[in-house]
Amino acid sequence: MNKHFPMSRRGFLKLGGSTAAVASALGASRLQAMEQELGGKDFSPVTGKLREAVPYTCLVCNIEDGGIAYIEDGRIVKLEGNPDHPGNRGKLCAKGNSGFLHTYDPDRIMTPLLRTGKRGEGKWKRISYDEATTMLAAKLKEVIDRSDAANDPAIRNEIVFKWGRNRTGGGIQRFMGALGSNTMVGHTNICESSKKIGLEPGWGPDIESADFANTKYALIFGGNVTETAYFHNPNAQRLVDGVVANKAKLVYFDPRHANTAAVADEWFAPFPGTDVAVALAMSHVIMNEKLYDDAFIRTWTNVTPEQLIAHLKTYTPEFAEAESGVPAKDIRRIAREFATTKPATTFSYRGPCKHVYGSYQEAAIQMLNVITGNVEKKGGYCLPRGMGYGQPSPKPPGGKAPSILGQPPSYPLAGHQVSTHMPYQLMKGDAKCSVLMTYYDNGAYTYPSSHVWEALLKDEKLIPFYCSFSPYMSENAELADLIIPDTTYLERWDPESMPSDLRPWLGIRQPVIKPLGNTQEWRDTTIQVVNKLDPDGKLGIKQYFAFKNGEEWVKAQFEGIPGLKEDGGFDYLKKNGVWPKYGKIDPVTGQIVDKNGDEVPAEYGLHAKELPASAMDGASVEANGAIKKGGKTIGVRVNGKNCAGFGTPSGKIEIFKESYKKYGFNPMPVYKRLASRDKKADELVLITFKVNVHTQSRTASVKYLAELYHKNPAWINPKTAAAKGIADGDLIRVTSSVGYIVTRAHVTEGIHPDVVAISTACGHNSYGRLAQLKMKEKPAEYALGGDPDVDNNVWWDDKGVHPNPIIKMQVDPIGGSQGWYDTVVTVAKAQAGDKYGDTKASLEASMKDYEETLRYAYTGDMHKANHKEVDIDWAHLPEPKAGGGH
Amino acid sequence: MQTLIEQVAHGVRQDECKAQSALFRLLARTLEYEVDEAFLERLRGELQEPLAESGAPVPQDMLDGDANEIIANLAVEYTALFVQPGAISPYASVFETGSMAQVQCDRATRWYQENGFAFKHRYSGEFPDHVGTMLAFVSALFEREANALEQGDEALAEEIRQSRERFLIEEIGGWAPGWAKVAAQAAQHPFYEHMLNLTERVLWDELTQIVPPRRMRELTEKNARGPTVIKKDPGFRKASGL
Repeated sequence: MNKHFPMSRRGFLKLGGSTAAVASALGASRLQAMEQELGGKDFSPVTGKLREAVPYTCLVCNIEDGGIAYIEDGRIVKLEGNPDHPGNRGKLCAKGNSGFLHTYDPDRIMTPLLRTGKRGEGKWKRISYDEATTMLAAKLKEVIDRSDAANDPAIRNEIVFKWGRNRTGGGIQRFMGALGSNTMVGHTNICESSKKIGLEPGWGPDIESADFANTKYALIFGGNVTETAYFHNPNAQRLVDGVVANKAKLVYFDPRHANTAAVADEWFAPFPGTDVAVALAMSHVIMNEKLYDDAFIRTWTNVTPEQLIAHLKTYTPEFAEAESGVPAKDIRRIAREFATTKPATTFSYRGPCKHVYGSYQEAAIQMLNVITGNVEKKGGYCLPRGMGYGQPSPKPPGGKAPSILGQPPSYPLAGHQVSTHMPYQLMKGDAKCSVLMTYYDNGAYTYPSSHVWEALLKDEKLIPFYCSFSPYMSENAELADLIIPDTTYLERWDPESMPSDLRPWLGIRQPVIKPLGNTQEWRDTTIQVVNKLDPDGKLGIKQYFAFKNGEEWVKAQFEGIPGLKEDGGFDYLKKNGVWPKYGKIDPVTGQIVDKNGDEVPAEYGLHAKELPASAMDGASVEANGAIKKGGKTIGVRVNGKNCAGFGTPSGKIEIFKESYKKYGFNPMPVYKRLASRDKKADELVLITFKVNVHTQSRTASVKYLAELYHKNPAWINPKTAAAKGIADGDLIRVTSSVGYIVTRAHVTEGIHPDVVAISTACGHNSYGRLAQLKMKEKPAEYALGGDPDVDNNVWWDDKGVHPNPIIKMQVDPIGGSQGWYDTVVTVAKAQAGDKYGDTKASLEASMKDYEETLRYAYTGDMHKANHKEVDIDWAHLPEPKAGGGH
Repeated sequence: MQTLIEQVAHGVRQDECKAQSALFRLLARTLEYEVDEAFLERLRGELQEPLAESGAPVPQDMLDGDANEIIANLAVEYTALFVQPGAISPYASVFETGSMAQVQCDRATRWYQENGFAFKHRYSGEFPDHVGTMLAFVSALFEREANALEQGDEALAEEIRQSRERFLIEEIGGWAPGWAKVAAQAAQHPFYEHMLNLTERVLWDELTQIVPPRRMRELTEKNARGPTVIKKDPGFRKASGL
């Protein structure tokens, strides 16, 4: 008892306990959570001065979240999410928050570098942007002159542009189109191209928008939403909204216990490449137990329930269990739950589609939503919402000759190219390259059998001139002849739009500071190159680049967007970063709300929206209901109504894909047993994964992120490890048919016993001192004096081991995707003399892999053997030709 | 009226300032840009002997090789040493903070502006806190001091002297000698090795003249900064995911 206040501690606590019950009714204190109150504003902790806030669009990864950069004394001091952005709703991930370190990285290339020694020797001479653009223009001119002299447009295809992350809004395509080359090789086949090709022919767009926030049941296959998968930050928020606030059930399939498994109600680890068997078996249950949406299937698809039942006959849960290891009883139960819980949605990403025949996997998973009628429903599986922006007029006509590198003839359905094949095609003499340009690209690190890219880039006969636009010395860039560094994403212009929310948005990427040290963005470099290549306009190229600079170019891209001009046009975007503004973010719920605090609703049922009468002028309706205009399908007539439909030839969801059948592929989603499924008992399947704080290859030197994650031991199941005599932390040798790496074991229950998993992002031989731990090798040279983070706080001495050199190059013959998760390996304790990080990969073995994967293409001998069920005249498949696409 | 002794001292100081200006200008020229034909000619000519006497002899291959070849080779060495990723970054910001273009850059700019100079880059990626540019600034202040002395403006000369010493101590003294030592060790070509060693010696010599002994110890320690060896804590291993 206190003499000044007659109450014991117990009494205090009792009072507190009683008060707790009514605390919320006492009203808010003057104290508010700082980050909620100050969203969109920031103050210097030293001077208290309001910092300048400049909106931008992130580009550390590909999700394009909206951000605000805070500037103090002309420097970026902090990044945070743009609270007006409907996609990421004021939040950035760890990668986004660390983004400004890219700008001030001392290992950034700040001036063009010209190679002086042998390729890869590391000998450079700095030159000016003026000298560099003159040099590149001369190299391009040589090819164009040769093409013109021979009157052969195909020669222009020797100008090759290879990109990784291309967010130029069509800028690269404009440049190449003006040059007259069709050899544009994107990276999408090492990303998710078979997801796209699994969807596009039957759905229109290349992805779905799963309405996680409003769903009651989420079924996710190989899409680690809470860490990395497409729309990582926006989707992670919405999945948490759904699971926590909306009490949705989450079932997750992944051979590895990713973080999404940790928040799921149920996690299943199927054998890699068998998700499709599980999905088809679920469809089998739903169809046979009459749990499907009969009206939706009959109205909005090009198949009938009867046809589906017949097609799915053999895909029983027991069959799926035998293939995947997922118990049949669970498949049945989940199928029933999924079909009877409304609304429900699936989501999938690289797990299912990054296999040989990955396109079938994606199509099978999507079908679950279609047969249950969850398409375009609130809480269901929706079409993506984006906003278009084009290239300014006049637009270049493009190349006249098809490019074998740009679109390999044996892959007519692979509309997102088959970039993995490029080095092999060049090495075999199928195509020629005179000038190679790369942008945001690092094939010698990011591709399967990455040593093949290294061999290609080192070969001066195959690649006579190589210009990289990388602002960092990467595994690729160090093999270039000329580096013309781009700026970082915080210092340049791009238009943006991504379907990261069901409310479409348009964003801008703008320089939040003047490009550091007078570096220049790629657009400005391109304009300079064109002006030197075609100074008097006689080549017909200059007319397409009549922009003063990158800003003017991008400004022109935003012109003509309905409604934007009325709201302030380009200036509005510069000021706000994103358009339109749907409302305010509720700081408690994270929802976008109106003045009354009510959530601003998204629009659903887009496919059923009636077309305006004006759209029907000059249109005709075909027997299947497709509304055609100008040779294109603009909608579909359903029950007498002219509806927007889906972006397919019939205007309906085409579960039966005629385009697949044309080349002898099964038009329906099917399961194809992969070679990896027949591995020997003591072999494992090697899978890779991305972690939540890194991109595939561009962040290992960002100090905040490197400290969080910097080494990538091989995940191996305890039972498997025990059988091989491997303990946690042991040095192990992982051997594929391509070669071997020596790494360490991370023994964990969180991995399928037949699988070994190694993450990407680590094990660089280039890309900055921290990525390579150079400060450990040469402390004096790589120390930065006053930076304790680098000098004193790099407490780790393990940069990881990169798995890509031993991963077989093998692709899906439909969508062209690399089969990242189909490489069979042996794992054993390291041998005498093995050192951590040892890597050996055979070029000869990889060349054989190339020949092998061609056998699966529609032109190959394995194709018919793997598609005996397809009723087609096998003797008369279309002739292969470059420049296809579905 | 100055006494004879004062006049002599005045003259000596004026000559010293001129000499120092020239010396700092030489170091600045070496570090700011690659060797070109004109610079090589001077290194082969009037600078050859004094450099040799200062312990920084012009390497033999530079004296009798083909000029174009030498210039090309030195440009590669210059880029490797000071420009390309992994170089010994010659910027105060990088040395002090690990990032480019930080407050050190602003401070250098302010110094230049207050003294009537504007920073103009020749290539992209150049910032005002480049060690060579800073040494060029010291050279300019020495020259101004000499001019002031020549014109008999003692007060102005004193003002410039104080400025120069403050700049040397505050902006250069804490890092540049140590940086020059590390860079000299990393240099592959003896020309840069010698000139960086000379830079270190010149800076320490100058600092010794103007810095009180107690402060000198502090500067010595700052320049000797090196990476700390972290004792491995086994707890980290688990926490980091292995």
